[in-house]
Amino acid sequence: MTFDAEARRAPQPNNYTDTTTFWSAAQEGRFMVQYDRETGRPQWFPRSLSMSTGHRQLEWREVSGRGVLYSWTVTHSPWPGHEHRLPYVCALIDLEEGVRVLANLVNPDIASLTIGRPCQLVWEELGEGVRYPAFEVR
Amino acid sequence: MRTGNSRDIAIIGYAETMVDLRTGRSSYDLAAEVLDDILTSTGLELKDIDGLAVGETMSETANPFWAVYVCEQLGLTPSWLQLNGLGGASTIGGVARAAAAIRDGLCQTVLVLAADAQSSNPPTEYGAHRPEFQYPTGLKGPVGAFGLLTRRYIHQYGNPDAALAKLAVTQRNHALLNPKGCPKLRKPLTERDYLESKVVSDPLRMLDSVMVCDGANGLLVTSTEHAVRLGAEIIAYPTGYGEITNFNGRDQLPDITETGFGVVGPKALNQAGLTPADIRMIQLYDDFLIALLLTLEQVGFCPRGKGGQFVLDTDLSYTGELPLNTSGGQISAGQPGLAGGGLNAVEAVRQLAGEAGDRQVEDPANALVTGIGAIPYGRNWAVSNALVLERA
Repeated sequence: MTFDAEARRAPQPNNYTDTTTFWSAAQEGRFMVQYDRETGRPQWFPRSLSMSTGHRQLEWREVSGRGVLYSWTVTHSPWPGHEHRLPYVCALIDLEEGVRVLANLVNPDIASLTIGRPCQLVWEELGEGVRYPAFEVR
Repeated sequence: MRTGNSRDIAIIGYAETMVDLRTGRSSYDLAAEVLDDILTSTGLELKDIDGLAVGETMSETANPFWAVYVCEQLGLTPSWLQLNGLGGASTIGGVARAAAAIRDGLCQTVLVLAADAQSSNPPTEYGAHRPEFQYPTGLKGPVGAFGLLTRRYIHQYGNPDAALAKLAVTQRNHALLNPKGCPKLRKPLTERDYLESKVVSDPLRMLDSVMVCDGANGLLVTSTEHAVRLGAEIIAYPTGYGEITNFNGRDQLPDITETGFGVVGPKALNQAGLTPADIRMIQLYDDFLIALLLTLEQVGFCPRGKGGQFVLDTDLSYTGELPLNTSGGQISAGQPGLAGGGLNAVEAVRQLAGEAGDRQVEDPANALVTGIGAIPYGRNWAVSNALVLERA
């Protein structure tokens, strides 16, 4: 294995809760979100119990990947390890299913970004071939 | 705090170290300086302190026994020990917890202590969801989060640049009068300097945020009754307090310009029997200038979205109608890591004691102090708290 300084490090799954379902589906290009089986409410990011009831009655469902831009910031001073990506855009995207996701915008036309613009899920490849969710403004 | 403003709890001492960059000192060493100074200024002895509320640090958090080791290092033998992990909200949170412990008879006199050598000893890893769902995006920690917050604020309420520039200059002018502030920051600043400072996470500028330093500070809290027994001079009474963590935490699509201050500000003021108009000075947690606008709006000094106009219309200097962060705040005195929450709290007590020297506020009847702690995923901040202090 060669070390590629230009590659973003792929995250290790299951740091704090079982995220295997998310990362397995991500490899197939599907974005999975947890839903409370009783209330039907979605939540993001993945957790060990339901935010709406406090119980562990969760199931994973695929979401559409469609959303709107809630806010964004153009990063000029990088988080360590992201120096080679400058400038890059970090954004909050409200998915139409009702959760907010922190993600990068890929190939953004920064001058034309406005809050409320429709966004579509795309997948970026990190180190070791791991796919990571990002969004494209439409 | 108990409602009804009973003035049964008193602050009888305060101390702080210089705030400085990369001192090479440890958090223990900085804490020792605070204890030494507080004993000297109050005339009390080590054995008089039987409670310790100490904040978590960035520099020592890898050690799970930090709070206990502080006791061992400083020669304290508390019957009540509290470690506060509320980030920049830990000091005023510590005052409230100390009051509760004293009222419950667990101890009589509490040192509320914060010390951190973050610029000398890099912080530990936060873990949780961050390695999977934040780090790969490259979001630049709090700077990135406040970039997102500022962009949204501009969208909802308009560009607050003129007000932010005024805040930057007001606080820097105060820092120029603070011999304990970070020397590197002790030089004049113009509104133009602020507006032209490097954009780090657009729309956030370098001068919107703090410089991380080393430093320590502390307050000494006891019951009003015991202060008399100790022969200690009472400086101030904490008369109102509110705190909330993970505000709006179950809402999956919260308005990120809405903060916990809308809950804790009115709560603290109500307990003290005061309104915003009664507040003589504001010592507000300032990790970023935009947080000051949100705090002013949601505590109730002005309507939502009108923080910028309020700042432009109000003289916030130490000689003005509503003095703000009179030691320069963290943005212009430096942020001593997680001891940053004690910086403005100590300044409030110093002002109420009438010991603020060249920057003394006239007729310092009371102060509102706030705290902010930790940056959550996709929101504003995790802990909001507010404390009303009234002069004895």
